[in-house]
Amino acid sequence: MDSNSYDAIVVGTGISGGWAAKELTEHGLKTLVLDRGRMVRHGDYPTALLNPWELPYGGRPTAEDLRHQPVAARTGYVGSQASKHWFVDELDNPYVEKQRFDWVRGYQVGGRSITWGRQSYRWSQMDFEANARDGIAVDWPIRYNDLAPWYDHVESFIGVSGSAENLPQLPDGKFLPPMELNCVEKQFKQTVVEKFGRPLIIGRAAHLTAPLAHSPQRGTCQFRNMCIRGCPFGAYFSSNSSTLPAAEKTGNMTLRPNAIVYELIYDEKRNRASGVRVLDAETGAQTEYFARVIFLCASTFGSAFILLNSVSTRFPNGFGNDSGELGCNIMDHHLDVGAGAFVDGFQDRYYSGRRPNGFYIPRYRNVGKDKRDYLRGFGYQGSATRLDWPSLMHDTALGAQLKQKAVKPGPWHISLGGFGEILPYHDNRVMLDRSAKDKFRLPLLAFDAGLKQNELSMRKDMANDAAEMLTAAGFRDVRPSDNVIGVGLGIHEMGTARMGRDPKTSVLNAWNQVHACRNVYVTDGACMTSAACQNPSLTYMALTARAVNHAVEELKQMNL
Amino acid sequence: MTVNRREALKRVACLMGGTLCASAILGIEKGYSATTSVGSKAAILRPPQMAIVSAVAEIMIPRTDTPGAIDVGVPGFIDLMLKDVYTQKDRERYLAGVAELDAAAQSEQGKKFVALESPQQIALVRKFHDAAVVEESRLHRPHAHLQRPFILMTKELTLLGFFTSQVGATQVLQYVAVPGSYHACVPLEQAGNGKTWAVQPGIEF
Repeated sequence: MDSNSYDAIVVGTGISGGWAAKELTEHGLKTLVLDRGRMVRHGDYPTALLNPWELPYGGRPTAEDLRHQPVAARTGYVGSQASKHWFVDELDNPYVEKQRFDWVRGYQVGGRSITWGRQSYRWSQMDFEANARDGIAVDWPIRYNDLAPWYDHVESFIGVSGSAENLPQLPDGKFLPPMELNCVEKQFKQTVVEKFGRPLIIGRAAHLTAPLAHSPQRGTCQFRNMCIRGCPFGAYFSSNSSTLPAAEKTGNMTLRPNAIVYELIYDEKRNRASGVRVLDAETGAQTEYFARVIFLCASTFGSAFILLNSVSTRFPNGFGNDSGELGCNIMDHHLDVGAGAFVDGFQDRYYSGRRPNGFYIPRYRNVGKDKRDYLRGFGYQGSATRLDWPSLMHDTALGAQLKQKAVKPGPWHISLGGFGEILPYHDNRVMLDRSAKDKFRLPLLAFDAGLKQNELSMRKDMANDAAEMLTAAGFRDVRPSDNVIGVGLGIHEMGTARMGRDPKTSVLNAWNQVHACRNVYVTDGACMTSAACQNPSLTYMALTARAVNHAVEELKQMNL
Repeated sequence: MTVNRREALKRVACLMGGTLCASAILGIEKGYSATTSVGSKAAILRPPQMAIVSAVAEIMIPRTDTPGAIDVGVPGFIDLMLKDVYTQKDRERYLAGVAELDAAAQSEQGKKFVALESPQQIALVRKFHDAAVVEESRLHRPHAHLQRPFILMTKELTLLGFFTSQVGATQVLQYVAVPGSYHACVPLEQAGNGKTWAVQPGIEF
C-alpha cells in the first residue's frame, strides 16, 4: 500500500463524517479523513470562556464582518463576535442564488457539529412511509425498523437528554435524564395537553445530563448556554469532542485538514471509484488519494458538489447521476413562523442556570384523524423566559427608573416557532455554474429552490395554531409572526442525492451506496428522500453508522 | 441622585478639554474592552458631539448607587460602534440627530444642549425619546430595517454597552459564568441575588 492508499476515505468531519470515521476505524479500517477547513481540536474554542464584556462590540458583527458573512447574517445569530469564526468567509466561497438561498456553512474540522442546535429526534414509521402514502417523489427504501437499532447505537454513544413519552410520531430513544420545563412552560403544557390533546415535552438534546462511561473526556452540562462557541466541557455532542477522539484512539485514522475534495476518481474498467482528488486549501497543491471504499459526508451541498463535479465518459452529468435526480429535490425545514405572548403571574418565580434547550411540541397535523388541506406537518420549539434589558427599548422609563426596571426581572414571555416539512420537489435544485469560478478555480453551485403552495399553506397553520394555543392558555398580547425566509435558513438542508429503490429515479440505494457505483456511500443530508419535520442530524448519524456496518460486511465478503 | 448626575455632567463637560478627562469618560480606566481600542480620541464624534452623546447616555442610565453610562465607558463604546458597526448612512443620520437635538435646545431654551440645566436636558431628551418610541412601536419592523433615529440608537447602544460591561453585568445585574446546574422554577430570592441575570437563556444557541 503506497502512502496515499487507505482502506477507506471519509470526506468531511461534521456530524456524519465524524461518525463514519469512528465506525470505520473501530472496525479496523485504515481510514483517511479529509476536511476542507482548518484543524480544530477539542478545546480549540477561542471564545468559549469569554465573558460578555470580553467580546468586542457588545458581541455584534461589524460592518466588515457583515461584508464577509452576509448570508450568515440572515440567521440573525451565527455571525456574532462569539461565533463568527465557525462560519465561512462568503467572499472567498461564493455561490449563485437564482432565488434567495440561505446556505450557512462551517468549514473546519468538526464542521457544523460545533455550532448545531443539538436537538435530537428520531423519525417515525409515519415519516418513512410518507412519500409512498402520499404518492409523491419516491418511496424511502427503508423503514423505521431498519434504522431503530442504529438510533439506539448512536444515542447511547452521543448522549441525548430527554423524556420517554410513548408517542407514535416521535419514538423514544436511549435517554439521559431530561432537562426541566420551567413553571410557565408547565402551565402552557397543561393547556396544550388538556384543551388540544397535543403533547408538549422538554426538548431532546445531545447534552450530557449524566456522565458517559465510554467518553471520559466529556463532562456534564454546566448550563452556560454558550454552546455555539464550542464547549470546553465537551458536554454536548460534536465530532471534535466525541467521534473524532474515538476514531483517533484506534490508531487507524489519518486526519488531513485543509484538504478540499473536488472530484471522485472513476475507474471505468472496474466500475468503482478508486479515490479522490484533493486541493490543498493553503498551497493549492493537488494530490490523489486511493481507497477501497469512499464515504461522502461533506454536507448536503458539499457532497452534491463533488458528485456533480465528477464527470467521466460513464457519468457525463455527474457521478452516479443516471437518474437525472442528482442536485434535485432540495429540502430544508421552513421556519421563522410562530407566535409569542406575555404571561401574567409567576412574578415571584425565576430560574437559575441557562438551559441550552427548550420545549418541543411534536407534529400533530395530519397525524391520526387530523386532516389538513396540505401534506405533512410541523413541530414547534419554544421557551418561556423573563424579559431583560433589550425589552426596555420601547419602555418609556428613562434614567434611574430605567435602571431599576432592568435590575428587576421583567415579565414572563413565551414564544414558539415552527419547523415545517418541505416536500421534495424535483425542480428545487442546485446545479454547477461552470461559467463562474471561486478562488480555487472550482465552479460554483447555483441554487434555484423556493417554498411552494404546500409550505405556504402550512405556514398559516404554524402561525395561527401557535397563537391559538397561547390565547387558550390565557396569555396576553399574543402576536403571531411569519417572516420571509429563503430555503436553507433552517440549516437543515437535505436532498440532492436521494435514496430510493429504483436507480432510474434515485441516486442512492437502501444502504446509501451510489446505485451505479457501490463503493461510494453518501450518508449526509444529501441522501434524504423526504424531510419530515424533526431536526435531522440524529438520523444522519444513524444512517451513517448503518451504512458503515454495511460497507464493512461487504468488504469482508469481497463485494466492494 | 441629583448630586450624582451633576458629577456626571461635570465629567461630560470635561470632554471639551484634555485627554485625561477624555480617557476617564471613554472608560479606559475601567478596562472596558469595547473601548480600549478607541484610544483617548474619538473616531467619529467630535468633542461637541461627544459631549451631547455623553450627556444623553448618562441621562438614560445615570450613576445612582451603582455606576452609570459614563462610568463604564458608554460614550466611547457608542463612538466605536458608529465607526465599525454602522453604515455611513447610519452615521450621517446619527450625527444629524445630534445636531437636531442641539438645535432644539437652542430654539426652545436659547442655549446649546450642554449648557442647559439638568432638568431641561432631561425634559428635552424625554420629548425626543417618547415621540420616537411611539413612532417606532407603530412600525413593527425588523431591527435591520428600522433606521433608528439618533435618540433610540443612543438608547440601544447605551443599554447594550452598559449591560454587557463588566460593571453592568456583575454589579448592576447578576452574572455567573459557569452556573453548573439548572433550576427551572425557584423563588425569585433564591435565584442568585434575585436581580435579572445578565445573560439570558436563548440569546445564544
